[in-house]
Amino acid sequence: MKQSVEKSKVKAKRCENKYKNFAIASVLILIVPLWARFIPGNLIHMDIVNVMALAGIYSCAVIGLNLLIGYAGQISLGHAAFFGIGAYSVAILSTRYPGFPAWLGIIIGAIISCAISWIVGKPVLKLKGHYLAMATLGLGEIGFIFFREATGITKGTVGIIAIPPLSIFGIVIDSDFKIFYVVWITVLLLMLFSMNLIKSRFGRALRALHSSEIAAEAAGVNTSKYKTVVFVMSAVFTAVGGGLFAVFQRYVNPESFHFSVSILFITMVVVGGLGNLWGAVIGSIIITFLPSIISALPYWFPFMPESLTNFGNYTLVLYGILLIVFMIFMPKGIAYALEISYSSALRGMKRIRDRISAMRYTKRK
Amino acid sequence: MVLIIVTLALKKSTGLQWILSGLTVGSIYALMAMGFSVIFSSTRVINFAQGEFSMLGGMLMYTFSNRAGIPALYSFILSVLIVTLIGAGFERLVIHPLKKPSVITIILITIGLSIFFRAAAKWIWGTDTLAIAPFSGDKPFKLLGATLVPQSLWIFGFTLLTVVLMFIFFNRTILGKGMRAAAENPEAATLVGVSPPATSLVAWTIAAALGASAGIIIAPIKFVSFDVGVMLGLKGFASAILGGLGYAPGAVVGGLSLGVLETIVAGVFPSGYKDAVAFLVLVIVLLLRPQGILGRQEKLE
Repeated sequence: MKQSVEKSKVKAKRCENKYKNFAIASVLILIVPLWARFIPGNLIHMDIVNVMALAGIYSCAVIGLNLLIGYAGQISLGHAAFFGIGAYSVAILSTRYPGFPAWLGIIIGAIISCAISWIVGKPVLKLKGHYLAMATLGLGEIGFIFFREATGITKGTVGIIAIPPLSIFGIVIDSDFKIFYVVWITVLLLMLFSMNLIKSRFGRALRALHSSEIAAEAAGVNTSKYKTVVFVMSAVFTAVGGGLFAVFQRYVNPESFHFSVSILFITMVVVGGLGNLWGAVIGSIIITFLPSIISALPYWFPFMPESLTNFGNYTLVLYGILLIVFMIFMPKGIAYALEISYSSALRGMKRIRDRISAMRYTKRK
Repeated sequence: MVLIIVTLALKKSTGLQWILSGLTVGSIYALMAMGFSVIFSSTRVINFAQGEFSMLGGMLMYTFSNRAGIPALYSFILSVLIVTLIGAGFERLVIHPLKKPSVITIILITIGLSIFFRAAAKWIWGTDTLAIAPFSGDKPFKLLGATLVPQSLWIFGFTLLTVVLMFIFFNRTILGKGMRAAAENPEAATLVGVSPPATSLVAWTIAAALGASAGIIIAPIKFVSFDVGVMLGLKGFASAILGGLGYAPGAVVGGLSLGVLETIVAGVFPSGYKDAVAFLVLVIVLLLRPQGILGRQEKLE
């Protein structure tokens, strides 16, 4: 009896700790627009709030994809299609029927994604490894071709312009500042959900089937069900991101949902850290800022030779190199490195504190 | 097969035209598919950068023959040689040191490589679509009522030659037989003296050479730009799956049938949907018959 009370106390403390970290991280993110305002735009040549909002949109997709790749160990190279389904649902509904609430469009996009991913996921997830990668790639590419060719519905390569802004409780979300908060509150809610998810029975089942499907099956885990559910969940997260993308950009065209975007998501997962929840967020922030930083470099270093200032071309080269280098040398990503340095910093601090108190003790003697 | 007969019966001359141009493209897919198959069968790796090898081949060919004015044959050899060295170098520098990588790792690394090559090509050659002169004129000729360009004959001839060479290599040489043995059972092959690292290196070398030559011989018909590798690679992969991954004759059959199927679909439906055929075939085959139409039943990892 006493033991179980002890145990529950420990558990409660760990829980508290988890939420404390979550609260710190949320506050750090949510105060970004407050300090970013005071940095004059012509000094750094990028709009931090705008890029952060985009990073948040990508985060939705990347958190979902991380559950699928990092936790369940199932790869998908076609998630850009779900991003597209979310975005086109909002775009089509709110331009065809004026006055259609965009938030309802986001929900409908999520529902469509849910249905499609469930229908597709069940058979496709029977495949493993390379076969799964290629099948999802094929499905994603079919989605892209549909967005491009079904001109009657999606207006083809022209794209859909003039998407009305999102409005919530009568507040029209029309500035970067407002959309930043809408996006990041969504991201934090998704994070909270995923944090609890991976600590639950469901999360343990996912990790079990990651390490060995046969062992998980033997232990009574219905692997096919869990794989389908996590696939559907990641598709829904991605569709929500896509819906926010549509109201953020205010126009959509098929290029934003190409195969390369699926790869972009995966690069974010890898750079942040496979199987690390905060890694997804960190990875999306870093990768989204990369092009802006690169295009701002010539302004920061005006003395640079002319031939080196055409930085736009380097971005993709950099993605390729990052993907290879991270997979080989840092497969656990940046989040893991941060965690390690954070805990070693804590340990270092403690050691210093100990030494100081020891010195005091000897002085007193 | 059935499809070909039905098309021929329905539309005599157009049908033949479709089939011949389908076979032309299909030969290229077959070469690409062989590249995938060679690497997969000896190392269980799928090289997502296979399409980029052919793009690089085409680009280098353009540089040597159009810019530097080197005769076609020498530029061909030179380009294939350079791409082959790149392929072999990548295997030595990245794949080999990894020892036993997980599937996700290897997929992501080869994807990273393909992004890198594509971006580098965009940087070096720009985004223009470049044309390469056909090897022997561009005067079309008639064959059984269908029109063909001479380049098609080059493509057929080269593919046939490659298939024969591959057959000889895998069935008559010690190295080739060793590679087949390693594909069948790596441990047993090691016991009888086949070295897995050497197998892997040879496989990557052959695949890079196949990819580069496919990219070069198709370039006079389809042109070349920094992003041709994606589609060529994906369709080559779809062909490999269709025929049976890791099974060389399957790669040829898969490539040819996909080429014909695609041309027929492009003739009947709006041509924008042409690219969807390969992916539809890919997904359907993967779901219904993952070992391909010719492949043997094998346990999928």
